[in-house]
Amino acid sequence: MKKHGMGKWNKYLVAGLLMTGLALLLGIVGIFWTPYSTTAMSAAEKFDAPSLRHIFGTDNFGRDIFSRVMEGMGTTVVISSLVVLFSGSVGILLGALTGYFGGVLDEIVMRVTDAVNGFPSILLTLVIISVLGSGRQNVILSLGIVFVPSYIRIVRSEFIRLRDADYIRRARLMGVGRMRILFVHILPNIFSVFWVSVMIGFNNAILAESGMSYLGIGVQPPDASLGKMLSDAQGYLRTAPWYALAPGLSIVWVVLGFALFSEGIRRRNA
Amino acid sequence: MGRRDSPVSPAPVFCKLRKVRGMQECRMSGRMEDIMIRIEDLSVAFGDTEAVKHVNLELIDGEVLGVVGESGSGKSVTALTLMGLVADSAQVTSGRVLFDDVVLREAGKPCDKALYRQYQGARMSMVFQEPMTSLNPTQRVGKQVEEMLRLHTELRGEDRKQKVLEAFRSVGLREVEKVYSCYPHQLSGGMRQRVMIAMAVILHPRLIVADEPTTALDVTIQNQIIELLREINQKQNNAMLFITHDLNLARRLCNRIAVMKDGEVVELGETEEIFQNPREAYTKRLIEAVPSRVKRRRNAAAESGMGEPAGSGPDGKIPAGGEAAEKAGTEQEECAVQGWNTGREQGAGLERSAGQEKSAGLQECAVQGYRKPILRVRNLSVYYKDGDNSLFSRRKKQCVVFGAEFELYPGESLGLVGESGCGKTSLSKAILGMNREVEGEIVHTTLRPQMIFQDPYSSLNPTKTIGWQLMEPLRARAALDQAFAMTREEMETAAYDMLHKVGMEDKYFHRKPSQLSGGQRQRVSIGQALITHPGMIVADEPVSALDVTIQAQIMELMQKLQQEMHLSYLFISHDINVVYRMCDRIMVMKDGRIIESGETEEIFNHPREAYTKMLLGA
Amino acid sequence: MKYFIKKLITLIMTLFLVSVAAFLAFQIIPGDVVTSILGTEATPEREEQLREELGLNKPPVERYFNWVTDVLRGDLGESYRFSKSMNEMMPVAELIGDKLPVTLWLAAVSLVLIIVIAIPLGVLWARSSSHFLDAVLGVVTQVSMAVPSFFLGILVTYLFGILLKFFAPGSYVSYQEDFGGFLKYLLFPALSIAIPKIAMTARFLRNSMLTELQADYVRTAYSKGCTKRRVMYGHVLRNAMMPVVTFLGMIIAEIVAGSIVIEQVFGLPGIGRLLISSISTRDFPVVEILILYITFVVIFVYFLVDILYRVIDPRISEV
Repeated sequence: MKKHGMGKWNKYLVAGLLMTGLALLLGIVGIFWTPYSTTAMSAAEKFDAPSLRHIFGTDNFGRDIFSRVMEGMGTTVVISSLVVLFSGSVGILLGALTGYFGGVLDEIVMRVTDAVNGFPSILLTLVIISVLGSGRQNVILSLGIVFVPSYIRIVRSEFIRLRDADYIRRARLMGVGRMRILFVHILPNIFSVFWVSVMIGFNNAILAESGMSYLGIGVQPPDASLGKMLSDAQGYLRTAPWYALAPGLSIVWVVLGFALFSEGIRRRNA
Repeated sequence: MGRRDSPVSPAPVFCKLRKVRGMQECRMSGRMEDIMIRIEDLSVAFGDTEAVKHVNLELIDGEVLGVVGESGSGKSVTALTLMGLVADSAQVTSGRVLFDDVVLREAGKPCDKALYRQYQGARMSMVFQEPMTSLNPTQRVGKQVEEMLRLHTELRGEDRKQKVLEAFRSVGLREVEKVYSCYPHQLSGGMRQRVMIAMAVILHPRLIVADEPTTALDVTIQNQIIELLREINQKQNNAMLFITHDLNLARRLCNRIAVMKDGEVVELGETEEIFQNPREAYTKRLIEAVPSRVKRRRNAAAESGMGEPAGSGPDGKIPAGGEAAEKAGTEQEECAVQGWNTGREQGAGLERSAGQEKSAGLQECAVQGYRKPILRVRNLSVYYKDGDNSLFSRRKKQCVVFGAEFELYPGESLGLVGESGCGKTSLSKAILGMNREVEGEIVHTTLRPQMIFQDPYSSLNPTKTIGWQLMEPLRARAALDQAFAMTREEMETAAYDMLHKVGMEDKYFHRKPSQLSGGQRQRVSIGQALITHPGMIVADEPVSALDVTIQAQIMELMQKLQQEMHLSYLFISHDINVVYRMCDRIMVMKDGRIIESGETEEIFNHPREAYTKMLLGA
Repeated sequence: MKYFIKKLITLIMTLFLVSVAAFLAFQIIPGDVVTSILGTEATPEREEQLREELGLNKPPVERYFNWVTDVLRGDLGESYRFSKSMNEMMPVAELIGDKLPVTLWLAAVSLVLIIVIAIPLGVLWARSSSHFLDAVLGVVTQVSMAVPSFFLGILVTYLFGILLKFFAPGSYVSYQEDFGGFLKYLLFPALSIAIPKIAMTARFLRNSMLTELQADYVRTAYSKGCTKRRVMYGHVLRNAMMPVVTFLGMIIAEIVAGSIVIEQVFGLPGIGRLLISSISTRDFPVVEILILYITFVVIFVYFLVDILYRVIDPRISEV
C-alpha cells in the first residue's frame, strides 16, 4: 500500500533523478566534448580561482578543472556501468540457478562467495590488480569479479525464498517447465529488490574506481580520472583548495544522487 | 495494590441482567459505583478511518465479557484503548473510558501515560495472542514476570522470586525453578502462555484483558488454557474481557457477549440468549457461519450421484450420511468399514504385519463392484530430511508419516484432521510428488492433481494478472503435450469461463492479486487449480486464513464446484468442524499415524479413539 | 562447545585455503621476478643463479610447503625491492615489524571512536520524536556514506589541519619517539575512517531499535506499566544490539580496509601504505605476506564475533 499521496513519485526519487541525471549527462558529454581542451596548459592561468570563465578554476598547469572533471566523470560512468552490467548479469544467472536448484553447484558457489564476501572488497581488488596489473580493462575485470558475489547472494536468497512460495509450488504442480519457472515466474518478482542493489552496486563501483585511481593502481594516463586528480590536488590543498574540492564533490554528488534514487525506489515499492 | 473489599454483591447481578436492555436503568438505580469498567460512547480513529465507533461496554467484578468479531471489527482496538496500549497515532474522537469512575481516557485528550501506569499491571493486565513474540526473547521468563513485582510492589529480591514461583505453580506449571530461568524459546507454546497468564495474574488485578489468548495454540492446549482462565476467574474473582473471533470459544467462557462488526457493537447480551435468539442478522450469520455440529452438513453425496454417467454400476461411492447411506447395500458398507479398519490398524502398529489378510479383504471388496479409487495409498511412510547441509552435520532422515493407507474415490471429499505437526501436510506433499523421500505406494489416476494452499496471499504470483495466472496451467499443459494445444482465444475463453465459475466478474481478469481481497484470491486459486480439470484436488487448510463469513462462502463454492466438475477432494484441516461440513469421510491423524477413519457421521457420533473424542470436545 | 570446535575447524580450513589461494595467485603472476630484479641486461648464468637462490626452480607444491613452514617459523621471506645492506635483501618481517603497530593503533582508535559515538547517537536517534533531529541525522548519514574515504581524509586535512590548525598535516610523529603525539596525530585519520562508519552504525542501531519497538513484547512491557525509558533500556536495547554486534564485526574488517587508503592520505607509515607501494613495484613477497596477514586478521575477527554472538544471544547459545 502506498502511504504517500505522491504515488509513483516521491522527493527522494525526484532529487536523486535530477542529481544523477545531471552528473551522467555531463559525464557522457565529457567523453566526446569538453569546454576547454583538457591537455592545453597555460602558465598564465595557473591556479585561477573559480570564476565565470573557469567555473571550477584551473590547476597547477592552468588547465580548466571543470573540463577535466567532465572527462573524469565520463571514465567513471563508463567503467561503473560495465562493472555493474558484468557483475549483475553473472549474479542473476548464478544466483537463479544456485538458489533454485541447490545441490553441488550451489555448495561450491556459496563457499566461494562466502570467502569473497568475507573480507573487504578492496583487498581482493588489490590482489587481482597486483596480479594482472593496472589499467582500464583490469579495473573493470577486478571490480566485476569482486562485486559478483554480492549479486549472487541477493538473487540467490530471493530465489530460495520464492522457490518454496505457494504460487511456485503450484506452478510446479501444473507442470510448468523449470526454465520458465525460473525466468518467467520468479524473476519478475525479484526485480524490486534487484534494482536497489544495482544502484548500490553502481555507487560502490564509482567509489572503488576513484579510490583505485587515487592510490595510483586504477586507470592509467591518458585515461582521465577523478581519483588521480584528487591525489594530484592534495599537494596544493593550501594554495588551491578548489582543485581538490571539485573532483571530490563531483563524486559525492553522483553517489548521493544514486543513493537518493535507490531510496526513492525502495520507498515506492514499499 | 489492595484487593477490592467484597465479592460480587447481589446488586451488580441485577444490574448485569438489566444491562441487556441498557445501562440507563442501572445509572438511575444509583449503582454506578459497582461498575468497574465503563466504556462510554468510545470512538477511536486512525487518521480518517474510524476503527471503533460509539462503543458502550461495562464490566463488573467477576464477570467475563466476550467481545466477538471478525478481523477488522475493532475488537482489539477497543481492548488496547481500554488498556492504554493503543498506538499513539490513534485518536479518541468521542466518549471516554472509566475505571472505578476515574477517567482514564477522554475524547480529544492525549493518553495520560503516567496515570495509566498506575493501573497497567497492578489493576488491569493483559494476555496476548502470540505468547512467543509477546515475551522478550532475550530475558529469562522469571525475570519478566518479576518485573511486575519490581514495578508495583516493595518486595525484595528473594521474596519476589518466591512470589513468582508461587504464581507459576498457580497456573499449573511444573518444575517452576527450571521454568524461572528459561528463555521463552525453551518453553512450549502452552507453557509460554501459562507464563503470560502468571504475569497477568500475579498482582491479582481486577481486570484481565485476554486478546485471542488461545488462537496461536493447538486444540489440546487451547482447552487447557481456557480451563485455566476459567479457574482463575473463579478463584480471584477478576473481571475478564475475552476477545476472540471464535463464537464457540466465547460461549464456553463468557457470561455475556458483545458482537462487534465494523467498529460497532451490533449485539450485546447474555451468552445463551445470543445463541438461542440472535436478534441481529449479522449475529445469525456469524453463528451459522461457524461450522458447528448442530447444523446438518449439506448432503452433497446424494446430489452428486445424479451427475454420474448412467450405467456405471452400483453407486461406487463410499456412502456418506443421508439417504445415499441408507440406500447403499449393507454388504458393501461392511466392506468399506473393514477396509478402513485395516488402514487404521496398520497405521497404528507398523511392526505388526498382521494387517495383511485384511488387506486382501479390501482387495476383494474392490473387485466386488467398487469403482476404482482415484487415489490409492498403500503403506506409505514419508521422511523428512533434517539439518543444514554443512560439512559437519550429516542429514538426518526423520520419519513423519508412518504406513498410511487409504483410498480416495471419484467425487468424494476425504477429510484429514490433526493438529499442527501431525504429518498431514507431509502426507499431502508426498501424494502430490512434492516430497520424494517416501516408501510405499501411491497410485492415482489423474494426470496432474492440483493443490489449494492455506495462505491466499502467497498462492498467487504478485507480478502477474489474474487472467495470465488462469491461463498458465493451460499453457503448461500444451507445452507438455501437443494434444492439448490451444489458441490464445481458446485459452482466454476458458479463463473467463473459470472466472465466472468461481463467482468473479470479468473485470478481475486484468487485475493483479494485490487488488483482490483474501477471499477473492482464494477463489482465483481454486479456479487456477481447476482449469485443467484435474479430477483430484488436495486442499491444505484452504479456509483457515479467512474470516468465518468468507470461510462459509469458499466452502460453499468448493462444494458447488465438486458437483459441477465431479471432483475428489483430499481436504486437510485442523478444524474438525470445517471438515465435518465439507467431507464424506474423515481420517484422524496423530503423530504421523492415521489413528481413526470412517464416515463423517460415524466419527462424530461414535468416536473410538480418546484423541478423536478430545478433538471433538474442543 | 561443539559449536566452538566446529567453528575452529572451519577457521583453520579457511586460513589454509586463503594461504593456498594467496600462494597460487602470486605464482601465476605474469612477468619474471628475476628480470625485474636484475634488469634485462643480466647474463643467463646470473639469472639462473638467482632463481636457485630464491628457490623459484622447484615444483610448486614443494615451494608452497617450504613457504608455509618458513612463514610459520617466522621467516617471512625477503623483499625483492628493499635491500638491508649492499648484498643482503631486507627480510619482510623486519620491513613489516615497525609498520604494523601504526596500522593497529589506527584501527583501534577508529573502532573506539565508532563505538563511543555511534551507540549513544543511535539510541538518541531512535528515542527522539523530533522531526528536526531526525531530518538532520538522516541527511548527515546519507551524505557521509556518499563521501569516498580518501576525499573525506582530504576534507579532514583541509578543515582541521589547514583551516582550524588542530594538527599539522604531514608532521607525523613516530610512536617510538612520542606516543602521545602519535595518538594525537592518529586521531584525525581515525576520524576520517570513523565518520561514515559512525553514520552507518548509528543508522543501523536506530533501525534495529525501531524494528524492536514494533515487537509484541514491547506492548507486553507497556501493559505491565513500564515507563518508556524502562522499555527502551530494559527490553529493547539488548535485543536491538544483537544484530549490531555482527554489524560491528563487519565494520572492523572495513576499518582495516579503510586504513589502507587513509594511511596514504595522511602519509602514515603503516602496512597499508607499504602494501600499495609494493603492489606498484611488484614486490610480491611483501604483497603476499601483507594480504595474508590482513586476511587472517579479518577472518579471526569474524570468528570472534561469531563466538561472541553465541554468548550474548540466548536464543542460539545452546542449539
